[in-house]
Order: sequence, then C-alpha cells, then structure tokens
Amino acid sequence: MGSLLATGEIELVTQAQRGDRNAFSELVCIHAQGVTNLIYRMCGNVQIAEDAAQEAFVQAWLHLSFYRPQTSLRNWLYRIAVNAATDILRKEKRILPNAIEDLPLRDSHPGPEALLFQTERTALIQKAIFSLPDASRAVLVLREYEEMSYHEIADTLDIPVGTVMSRLNYARKILKEKLEQSLFSQVEVDHVQAR
Amino acid sequence: MSRHVSEWLNAYHDGELHGSQLQHVEAHLAECDMCQAELESLQGLSSLLQEVPAPTFPPARRFAAQVSLRLPHKQTIVPGKQILEIGWWMISVGILGAWVFISTSSVISDILSAAGNLGLLSSFSGWLAFGPSSNIYLSATLGQFGLLSGNGLNWAETTETLTRISLPQIGLQISIAVLYLSWMAIWWARHTRQGRGQLLES
Repeated sequence: MGSLLATGEIELVTQAQRGDRNAFSELVCIHAQGVTNLIYRMCGNVQIAEDAAQEAFVQAWLHLSFYRPQTSLRNWLYRIAVNAATDILRKEKRILPNAIEDLPLRDSHPGPEALLFQTERTALIQKAIFSLPDASRAVLVLREYEEMSYHEIADTLDIPVGTVMSRLNYARKILKEKLEQSLFSQVEVDHVQAR
Repeated sequence: MSRHVSEWLNAYHDGELHGSQLQHVEAHLAECDMCQAELESLQGLSSLLQEVPAPTFPPARRFAAQVSLRLPHKQTIVPGKQILEIGWWMISVGILGAWVFISTSSVISDILSAAGNLGLLSSFSGWLAFGPSSNIYLSATLGQFGLLSGNGLNWAETTETLTRISLPQIGLQISIAVLYLSWMAIWWARHTRQGRGQLLES
C-alpha cells in the first residue's frame, strides 16, 4: 500500500524539503516510472507524457513544503501528475496518440498477422480510453493500471469514495459499449479480409 | 432470488466489498446468471485494458537528471512558515516600537516637566502635576517629621527621584536593548546556518 513511506524515503523527503536537490533527485528516481506511466495512460503520447512528468516533478519540488510526510508521497505525486496531464490535455486539445506502429505490444515477437491484429486491437482500446472524460479516465487509470484502492484514489484525486465509484462505473460502462462495438467490427473486418 | 447487485459488481470485482455486503453479493452471484455474466464482462474488460502495456521510458537516472536541470532555485514557502517568518520580523519591529515609544514618552515628560517648573504651563497646573514634589514621598515625609533637613533632605529627594523615575526607565531601556540584541543574535545564528546549508548543497 502506498500510504506508508519507507524510513529512507521519509529522510529523503525531509532533506528535499530543506532544499537538498540530490535528495529530491533520489525521490524522482523512485517515482519517475509511476508518474510517467500515469500521465502516458492519461494522454497517450510518450513524448508529451515525459515532458508533462518532468513538469509534474518541477511542481512537486516547488510545492514540497506543502507535503506532509504522514500522507502517501506516491498519492501526492500522482495528484500533481493527474493535474499536469489534465493541463496538457487542455492546452493541446489535439494530442495525437503515438502512431500505431509505435504502440507497445504485449507479445514482443508476434507473426505479421498477429502483429497487425495486436496493434489494431491496442489502438482501439487506447482510442476508447481517450474518449472518456478526463475525470473518469483518471479514476479508471488509477484503478486499472496503478491498482489503487478506492480510498487511495479518493485521497489522490481529493474526491469522495462515492464519486470514485460512480466515475469508475461510468468509465467501465462507456468502455464496454465502445469496445464491444469496435472490437466486434474489427473481428468482422478481419473475417471478411480472410475470405 | 434477491434483487440484482449490478451497482455493487464494480466494487466486488475490485475487491472493495467486505462483511455482510460481500456475503450478500456472493450469495446473489451464486444464483443469478445475469449478474454473473455482468461480472465476467467486467473481468473481461480489465483483461482487455491490460493488453495495452506501458511503453519503455528512459532510465530513471536520466529522467531525474533532466528534471534536475529544470528545477528552479527557490521552493515555495508554506503559509505557516510565511506567518512564522512575518511573526519573527514583527518581534524586532515591536521591540523597536516599544523603545521609540518609551524614549519619546520620556523626552515629552521631561519637556513638560521642565515647562511646568518654569511656569510655562500654569494654566494646566490643575491637572498636570509637575515637579519633584509629586514623585517624592518618603523624603518629604521624613522632612515633615524633622528627620531630614538641609543637604540631607536634598540628597534624599534627589536619590528618591532617581530611584522612582530614572531607574525604571533605565531598566526598561536595558531590557529592550537586551531583547533586541538577543533577537539580533538569533537572527545572525539562523542566517549563518542557512548560508552554511546553501553552501553544502551547492
């Protein structure tokens, strides 16, 4: 659970709060992957996610004195990350997800047909996720990809647990509808092409 | 069969139900195919979402170095700390203000007293009591009883005036000076420590 800080991390936070840049860099190393992943899941573009993650850490540095070590540092950083992602999505209204060939694949050595099927499928899922409203997408990403509990999500986004539940229900309902449609049509297209 | 549990299926799927609520949902799922199918569709959706793995990002060290280059020098001070900082400077302002007030009162009092002695403020004599007589009680009493006279009485009056008026003022001035010097010493110590901290970081 992300609410408890390891002793070493508390020490790093205390040093960073006193202005120690090296200690802050250590904290960045610990949380870089999580923060960048979260922003990527929110905006769908690797370069923009990296840039927004850097900006999120700059904001964290600037406001580090507001952080209280009794709370989870990860949740606090994720809140900043979600805000950074929302800001960047608002500023750059037409963020293009990475080109289909740049999308990561689960199977690293698929055959040509499987590759095509996999990339198309991944693109459809991503498209469905990005069609969600920012608020619902944030809850979905924190639950599905960061595996946070409802309480942790509520703490991260500073919203009631009931709101987490309703946003998650809404996000999953919309996703199911969209994916059922698009994946069904993809299967149909593949079937027709195969004939 | 009990009521459908659609509204609880997300929470059940995420392992967020406990106690009687969990038992209720599990009991319903055991006998309701519709809710069971809905739960399976939620599980399918989660598996589908996991098909989008995260891309490979640059190593954390390189990322941290890039962040480090973007970090501004100053961190934002929390409101509590700002209030403490303002309070800290207000102490010195308060000490200086008290010193100015006491010194000014003393000077004005001396001027009025001198003017009263010279009879320049005779019209105010009704409510302004000037002169050493108003502050000399013990020596005057001793003089009245004939225990002191001549130079002895004058010396006693001067000593009593000094004790009653000047000594408290001198004491106050010394206290204020000590307070201010203490404040300066603490300020200097804090300033030196902060400077050393910044030097160690650079």
